[in-house]
Order: sequence, then structure tokens, then C-alpha cells
Amino acid sequence: MAERRRIVPYFLLGPGTIWLLLFFVVPLFYMGYLSLESGVVGSLSFSWNWGNYSDALSLYDTQFARSFLYSGVATLICLLVAYPLAYTIAFRAGRWRNALLFAVVAPFFTTYLIRTLAWQTILSDQSPAVGVLRFVGLVPENGHVLATGGAVIAGLVYNFLPFMILPIYASLEQIDERLIEAAKDLYASSRAAFVRVTLPLSAPGIVAGTLLTFIPATGDYVNAQFLGSAGNQMIGNVIQSLYKTQLDYPAAAALSFVLMALIMVVVLIYIRFAGSEALMGEDTL
Amino acid sequence: MGSGGAMGRRALGALAAAVAVMALAVGLAACGSGGGGEGGAVKLEGEPSGNVTISNWPLYIDPGKNGTVKEFEKATGIDVKYIEDVNDNAEFFGKMQPLLEQGESGGRSLFVVTDWMAKKMDDLGYLQSLDKAGIPNVEKNLVASLQHPGFDPNREFSVPWQSGMGGLIVRTDLAPEVRSICDLFDPKYKGKVDFLSELRETVPLVMTCEGTNPEEATEEDWMKAIEKIKGAVESGQIRRFTGNDYARDLTSGDAVAAIGWSGDAVQLQADNPNIEFRMPELGCSLWSDNMVIPVGAPNPTAAEAWMNYVYVPQNQAKIAEYVNYVTPVEGVKRIFEKSEPELAESDLIFPSAEFTKKCFTQAQLSEEEEQPVTQAWNAVLNG
Repeated sequence: MAERRRIVPYFLLGPGTIWLLLFFVVPLFYMGYLSLESGVVGSLSFSWNWGNYSDALSLYDTQFARSFLYSGVATLICLLVAYPLAYTIAFRAGRWRNALLFAVVAPFFTTYLIRTLAWQTILSDQSPAVGVLRFVGLVPENGHVLATGGAVIAGLVYNFLPFMILPIYASLEQIDERLIEAAKDLYASSRAAFVRVTLPLSAPGIVAGTLLTFIPATGDYVNAQFLGSAGNQMIGNVIQSLYKTQLDYPAAAALSFVLMALIMVVVLIYIRFAGSEALMGEDTL
Repeated sequence: MGSGGAMGRRALGALAAAVAVMALAVGLAACGSGGGGEGGAVKLEGEPSGNVTISNWPLYIDPGKNGTVKEFEKATGIDVKYIEDVNDNAEFFGKMQPLLEQGESGGRSLFVVTDWMAKKMDDLGYLQSLDKAGIPNVEKNLVASLQHPGFDPNREFSVPWQSGMGGLIVRTDLAPEVRSICDLFDPKYKGKVDFLSELRETVPLVMTCEGTNPEEATEEDWMKAIEKIKGAVESGQIRRFTGNDYARDLTSGDAVAAIGWSGDAVQLQADNPNIEFRMPELGCSLWSDNMVIPVGAPNPTAAEAWMNYVYVPQNQAKIAEYVNYVTPVEGVKRIFEKSEPELAESDLIFPSAEFTKKCFTQAQLSEEEEQPVTQAWNAVLNG
């Protein structure tokens, strides 16, 4: 019996492990191999060519910096928009709660590509939205929004917003409202109760939301492709171009690894800063 | 992470095993690839029959029940699988190259690529030379101007599918004065012009502004033109680089002028009379997309039957009427004069020698030039 019980957990881990091996570890290994090859397509050969990595950093440093800037700004805007919204849905929506949650998820019924293309129309030069921006002076009279960095960030914010709202909502929704009442009973102002009770308790949601937004947004290339111009291309666009049109597979693979490593570093620093307790929830540690 | 114990070690063992298996697989795959060589020649085998798979660009043939593919099937009894999976020459090359290198075509009997790509594939030994006995209509009806192109002087391995012109597409209501490629650099149109991301279209057209003849351009000329375009990107003059999607920008008015293709202009104008193709004052670029038969192509006999079929003027007229590019088949104009008189008049579908007198054949890059020039170009596109 005891024997059996020891095997069960491994058995349960099986599908996940196989999945990870087949679709993550093996491709990753293959990519690593590819990234150290040299030559052109058709006559690639493995040569421990670390030069691909130094090239990746020196040739595309602008695009790296831009990717982190765009996704960082987008994540911040997402957080500022998502928190009040999630708070409202969790505490103030009453019977509208499910309807509002549905509204958050509804855009997913359309594909990512179509939603991004729709922003071409929303931000088109003659559109009312851009008209308003011109009127308030945020955009110069003959300026445009589409095909600029601003449009790329707008697209990122729009596309990743639900990934910020849902985790924050989930953590807010679990908060025992009696804790807030208790704070107020102990003469905390509404503001103090929020800062010292609600906000810390929703921190896991904030951390999860930021990661779910920041990580994919950094590697995104669809928004820059459709809403940006030549000066707004992100690192994902470079990788796509290296793979699909320039056929420089080793450089593309090296670039992917560098991107992965950089994201990992940024995320580690962030988690360190935000505290892993917030990420994991207090109970688990 | 860091839980350690038996579990950790065992997982590590499994991982190491998987990695080892993968390494072996990659090693074996690496050994398999050989060098290029001659592509061989088409061997005709009796009457054309059986199945044939044709790869072409999207929207490049009249579709439907009475479309050319169905009519061909009815006329010959050949079963056609017509796929539209060519979107970009370089991308298609990337997809096909590993197969072609092994002497395989992924089941394709015939595909359509632009002049320079046809040449590149032939140089690598990826194409078969054609047996002209199977394509008498091509011999008979191919227009004179396309019979002896520089890259394939005797049409040994390529047969034009359609031809076209790269030039200006203008919103006549918003930018009536744009008449040459140089006008696109006028600050008046800042942020309102689109350029094609296709290196071999855009850069030679810009060269004409520098007084260079693209047919005689050196690497230095290419670099100079790319530098000029780079400057226009940085100043915000060029809105963005596009493929056919300049259509959206021109229709919405986000762009007032673009570098674009003649056939698109005909279709766009049908929807919006304010959009028109303009022959650039310093000339346009002329190109063809070509049918080719790759190495390892199944049923090349049926592939040649297809080439032969679309070179019958009546059959070609249906394609030409739908795609609105420059048809390579003699005799279509006479058919249009009766059925579609306004298309027969169009300089974009039947360009006169006078209309294209300043145009140049789409430029080729030599092997040594290709790498640095494409690299510089991609640096502009991915700024």
C-alpha cells in the first residue's frame, strides 16, 4: 500500500512532464544547437559559434531596449487600468459582476489577429479617436497615431489587459471583507484600510498579472507589425524576419535565447523586489 | 525548484536521456544533407493524366465552379490540387529549401515564383529544365518581349504566369501632383507614403531618383538608395513598409501615395475611382512570376499540360480578366476587344511599348551583392 502511494504522485506528474519534455525541453535543446551553428541555409554546420550571441546583442540592442520599454509601459498602463476595474467588479458590481467579467473576457471570442487589425481602423488618421487626440493637442494637426510607437503600446495594452484584470480580480475576490471592516472598526480611514489591508492581500494578483502581461508583451510582434512602422519594430519582429525572410536560423535562435535570458533576469529582479511571498501567497511558504 | 531528493534526480536522468536522444537525431539529420547539383530535365510520359499539385500566390487565378482549375480538370481528366501557399519569395524559399535540397518538392508538381527567385533556384539546381514538346502553346503564344529574359534567355526552365509593373499608386484627390518616385520624398507628404518591403522593387525605383539606371547598378548604388530610404524613415517621411496591404492605407486615406503593383491598382480603382496607377516619370520596374517545375516533382507531364493549357488565349483570357495583371499570352487582347473593350484599352493590362519605354527589368543582385544588400535593407525594415 505504502509502495503504491509513493508511485501515484509520479504517475500524476507524468502527462505534464512528457508535455514539457516534448514541447519545451526538446525544442529548446534543438534551438540551442541551432544557435551555435554557422553558415547559410543548406550548409549549416555546428561549430560552437558563440559569435551569434554577441552579434545578437550588438546588432539589435535598439530593438531589445525598445521591446522592454514598450512592454514595460504597456504593463504599467494595464495595471493602472486593471486595478480599479477589478476592484469595482469584485466589491461594487453586485449583480452585474458576472456580466462585467464576461465583458472582460468577451474580446477573446475573436482572434488576436482580428482584434489587432481592428485597431488599424480605430487609430486611422480620419478616425474620431484620433480627431479627439488632435483636438486636445496630444497629436499635432498633421500628425498620425497609427504607425507610431504609441499605437504599438496601445495595441499591447488592449491585447494584454484581460491577463492583468483576471488575476487581480481573483485575488481581490478572495479577500474576506470582514478584515476591511475590522480595520475600519479599529479607526483606519478608508485609505489606510486599502493601503494596509486590501492592497497587500491582492499583491499575489498584481504580481501574477504583471508577469502574465510583461513576459508575452516583450516577445510580441503582431502589434508592432500591424500598428507600428519601421522605427517601432520589436525584437519579436527581428526574430520573425530572421527566421522567415532572411533565413538566418542561427542568428534567430541566438536572439531568442538572449531574449529569454533577458526576460528571465528582469523577472527575477522583479520577483526579488516584489517578494516571492506575494507571488506564491502567504500560506504556501 | 530545489526540492532535491529521488524525484529530482530521476527527472534529471530522464531529461538527460531525452537530450541524448535528441542530440543523436540532430546529428543524424545533419549528416543527411548533401550539396546542390543539376536539377535534371522533365521526362514526358505518355498522355497527361493522374494528379497534379500546383502552388501559386493567393488570388492569382479565377476561382469557382467555372474557374480555370475546374475547366482544366474537365478538359484533361487530370485531378488538380491547387494551393495558394506562396506569399513571399524569400519565405517560400525558406519553406521549400530543406526539401529541395533533398531532391523533393513536398508533393508539388509546379509552383510560381518571381524572376529572381526562379534564377536563384535554378542556380542551386532545384529546378528541372522543361521538355518543350509538352508545351507547344507556350512556344506559339508567349509574347515576344518575354521570350528572352536575362535570367533564362531561352526559357529553359521558366514559363511566365503573369507579369506586372511596380510603380506609383496615387490618391488623385489627396496627392494629385505625385508623378515620380522622387515626389514621395517631398515633405508635403510626410507620414503619408507607403513603400513596398520588397527590396527588389523599392530600392531600384528609388535609384532612378539618384539618376542611376537600375539595370547597371553597382552594390554602391544599392547602398546609396537604401541610405536615402533610411533617412526618409528616420524623418518620418515614410509611413510604413507594406506588402499588398498598402491597399488599406490608400483606401482609408492614411497614405496618399504608395509604391505598388499595377494589377492591384486596377482592382483598387474599380472600388475607388480616386485611386490610380501612375507610371513613374523615370520609369517602372517590370517583372514576371514564373511557373517552374521543381526537382522531385511528381507527374511533370501533367504539370506541363497545365502550362500548355493556360497558354491557350481563350483560357488565359479568363485568368487575365480576373487578376488584371499583364498577361504574357499573345491573342488575349483580341478576345478582350470583343468581350471587355475597356480592359482591352488598359495600359496596365496590355502596356504598349510607348507606355513602358522607360521601364527596366526588375533588378538582379549578384551572389556577392545579395548578402550585404539584403542585410542593409532588413536593418531599415526592422529599424
